[in-house]
Amino acid sequence: MKLGPALLTAHLWLVLAFLYVPIVVMVVLGFNASPLYALPFQFDLVWYRELVGNAKLIDAGIHSVGIAIVNTIIATTFGTMAALAFARYQFRGKTILQLLLFPPVAIPWLVIGTAMLVFFYWIDIKRGLFAILLGHVALSLPYVIVVVGARLATFPRAVEEAAATLGATPFQTFRRVTAPLLAPGVIGGALFAFAVSFDQFVISYFLAPPGVTTLPVEIYGAIRKGFTPEINAISTIIIVVSMGALLLTARFYRFGGER
Amino acid sequence: MSKTNSRITRRRFVAGAGAIGLGAATGVLAAPRIVRAEGKITVLNWQGYGTDEAWAVEAFKKATGIEVVHDYFNSEPEMITKLRTNPGAYDVVLTNSAWNGVASGEELIQAIDTSQIKHFADLNPSLRDSALLAKDGKVYGVSWVWGMTAIAYNTEKFNPAPDSVEVLWDAKNAKRVSVRDDAVEAVSYGAIATGQDMNHPKDIEKVKAKLLELKPQIATLWSSEDEWNKLFQSGTFDVSVYWSGSAARSKTNYKLPVGYMVPKEGGIGWFDGLAVASNAPNNSGAHEFINYMVDPTFYVEWATKVGAPASANPKANDQLPAEDVGRQIHSDQAAIKRLQFMAPLTDEERQTFSDLWTEVKAEFAK
Amino acid sequence: MAVADRRNRGAILALTGPAYLWLTATIFLPLSAMLYCSFLAKSPLVPAPVSYTLRHYEAFVDKSVYQQLMLWSLQMGAIVTICCLVIGYPAALALAKVIKGRWREAMFLMVVLPFWSNALVRTFSWTLVLRPFDLLYSYPAVIVGLVHSYLPYMILTCYISLQAIDDSVIEAARSLGARSGALFRRVVFPMSLPGVLAGSALIFVPAVGSFMEPRILGGAKGATLGMAVEDQFTVTANWPFGAALSFLMLGAVLLICLAVYPAARKRMEGL
Repeated sequence: MKLGPALLTAHLWLVLAFLYVPIVVMVVLGFNASPLYALPFQFDLVWYRELVGNAKLIDAGIHSVGIAIVNTIIATTFGTMAALAFARYQFRGKTILQLLLFPPVAIPWLVIGTAMLVFFYWIDIKRGLFAILLGHVALSLPYVIVVVGARLATFPRAVEEAAATLGATPFQTFRRVTAPLLAPGVIGGALFAFAVSFDQFVISYFLAPPGVTTLPVEIYGAIRKGFTPEINAISTIIIVVSMGALLLTARFYRFGGER
Repeated sequence: MSKTNSRITRRRFVAGAGAIGLGAATGVLAAPRIVRAEGKITVLNWQGYGTDEAWAVEAFKKATGIEVVHDYFNSEPEMITKLRTNPGAYDVVLTNSAWNGVASGEELIQAIDTSQIKHFADLNPSLRDSALLAKDGKVYGVSWVWGMTAIAYNTEKFNPAPDSVEVLWDAKNAKRVSVRDDAVEAVSYGAIATGQDMNHPKDIEKVKAKLLELKPQIATLWSSEDEWNKLFQSGTFDVSVYWSGSAARSKTNYKLPVGYMVPKEGGIGWFDGLAVASNAPNNSGAHEFINYMVDPTFYVEWATKVGAPASANPKANDQLPAEDVGRQIHSDQAAIKRLQFMAPLTDEERQTFSDLWTEVKAEFAK
Repeated sequence: MAVADRRNRGAILALTGPAYLWLTATIFLPLSAMLYCSFLAKSPLVPAPVSYTLRHYEAFVDKSVYQQLMLWSLQMGAIVTICCLVIGYPAALALAKVIKGRWREAMFLMVVLPFWSNALVRTFSWTLVLRPFDLLYSYPAVIVGLVHSYLPYMILTCYISLQAIDDSVIEAARSLGARSGALFRRVVFPMSLPGVLAGSALIFVPAVGSFMEPRILGGAKGATLGMAVEDQFTVTANWPFGAALSFLMLGAVLLICLAVYPAARKRMEGL
């Protein structure tokens, strides 16, 4: 009896170690002097100093975060609503709508990006932060819908029905029963939406006007031109800030789940 | 929803699709920019390829008052697409000699007024007057830089220096070779190694067979100069096909033990020209900028500070210090004679090369 | 589940409307144009008279290399998905049922964090890790990189499903005499199947089209269909062919998912 949980816990720790191998390497090399990532390791803060003066990279980072946050709010809201409809109702065309979630995830971004650019120009949506947001939300929606949908499918619906038979109105049921039980799914969807947007490169490349870039676009350009550990430095900062944001949110919402 | 669908008639598709582009165009969609302000030009080029050097842009602005704004492309088809789909957005465009004809054929670029280019007469005649940069007797591209794509090797591992293209196929070098992941370049070297015209090889199957023989040789494929530097420095490969200007840079700036040679069987030569886009908002500014680019003062600083391919202006090359690595590489007259220069390819030829390279890469992956 | 009738129709429209209107304007319409483009003889931007052809699709049938690449890409997607499942599900189980309290929260956050690092930087870091062990530029390196990228997806979706399973259900089954093995097989796993399926779909579908990690970690060994699609846009400017390959890939992925879904549905229905 005790062996099972112990093995599982050990496995989890190993998985975490695996997940952090490149992260640790990335952070450590942000403090390495060599611009070519050559060893032996020589501690140096030069890349962080360079970063301070690199307004372009910092701006790109800020754009990325801003777009990702707005994207998360919109995609999570619309996606959750759609997932609710799929879970609660049976209707004609439902399967088609579900199948239509495949193209955004399956078609290579290069093709989607080209198609979007062409189409936006045609209907006169100018390149810019709004166009980028349009693209990011579109790519995030399938993820939110699927993740929230999975939660809804495992849902103990009996609880909702019980509440109804006990006299709760649909609204009360939603607020006090459905919503809290749904929350982890919605949070999960939100985490996906943020990740999809924050890491999105191709769509941003196509739809960004000059002077406005996002971090992934800058990083990709840097790869062609000269990829220095400055990239590691800003990535490390982003990780630290993200960790901080998550910890802060954890004060108000227990990610681990309740009860 | 159905209303939107019915409006999509075939003609609208074609008309709409025909007006569109790939990639971000500088300034084209900013509403107020209908009349371009005097004193500004937009340059379309590779990123980090001379025209966007911060000090150069600043010097140019000081001298002429014109501000330089850049937009970039990551491949030549992208360059053409950006020109096609953003008329009136660009002033100066970098066109490779193999692509200038495509651009001028579609009237995406306009004839250069050579009287506005002070240094035009100084340029190397074989580049300056090249038919590849002209149309109907008029100049459509000012030759700017030229270079070679030949063999770079690790001087610490190869002694004496290799001189044949067969060094890439030599079994002694198994898993120590690299080539660029580019269909045209790969096919070109396959053709050179089989003694054929690299632009229009007669026996394409022979080229494919030769390339397939590279399978045990290849450590990996590279696709950018930065990647090349990192791979070379870590000893992933010791010999590869590489650009001449980049080799000079790798040696000078990164102190890598790079040797460079043009094989006796031949190598690839190329040159780039600066063109003026059709409907350029600032035509005179475009010409001024091009003139600055072929000026020795710009070139010498670019080549010595950063590293560059050879200038099309011999006077500029002569002003480089004798020990400059780039100068040494590009003044080897015997090597230059062995070069085959890149020529324009038809869509069908390009597709054939691409399909061939895809098949070769699939074999490599097996 | 409520069947649609006049009362519910409003609710359904209101709930699905925003998401699908957005998707239509930004994805479906543009992709329709791309689908149309795949039947054009020349790229839509070339100044030439418009003509239609099936030859881009025929090229896929005629040239075995593209079929080969398609097969490899599908295989790669499947391997990555299975690895993520085998590695990720137990981790999610540990997180949902074994770890408690503050630890659970902390570890959950730790699982999510790498999710938000930039994929290119992560992949590049993997090259630095794998090179000293001579594991770089090999197929396993590609799998390692892709599994690493997609593992948090699986852990997250499985966790969300597992965490919804009420402990009281498990206790009840136990008190009725069920042993751990049977308990897992017959109660826990089937109940968490939605999470498993969600994670699998969200991993398999994009993994099939990946080409960045194969290129960076696999070198010459990293040939995929995504790479061929990329070439049609950056080398040959043959958009119709690139579009045709993409839609063929979409078709293949849809077929596979549709084949798997009914079998999974049956197991879920047993709840």
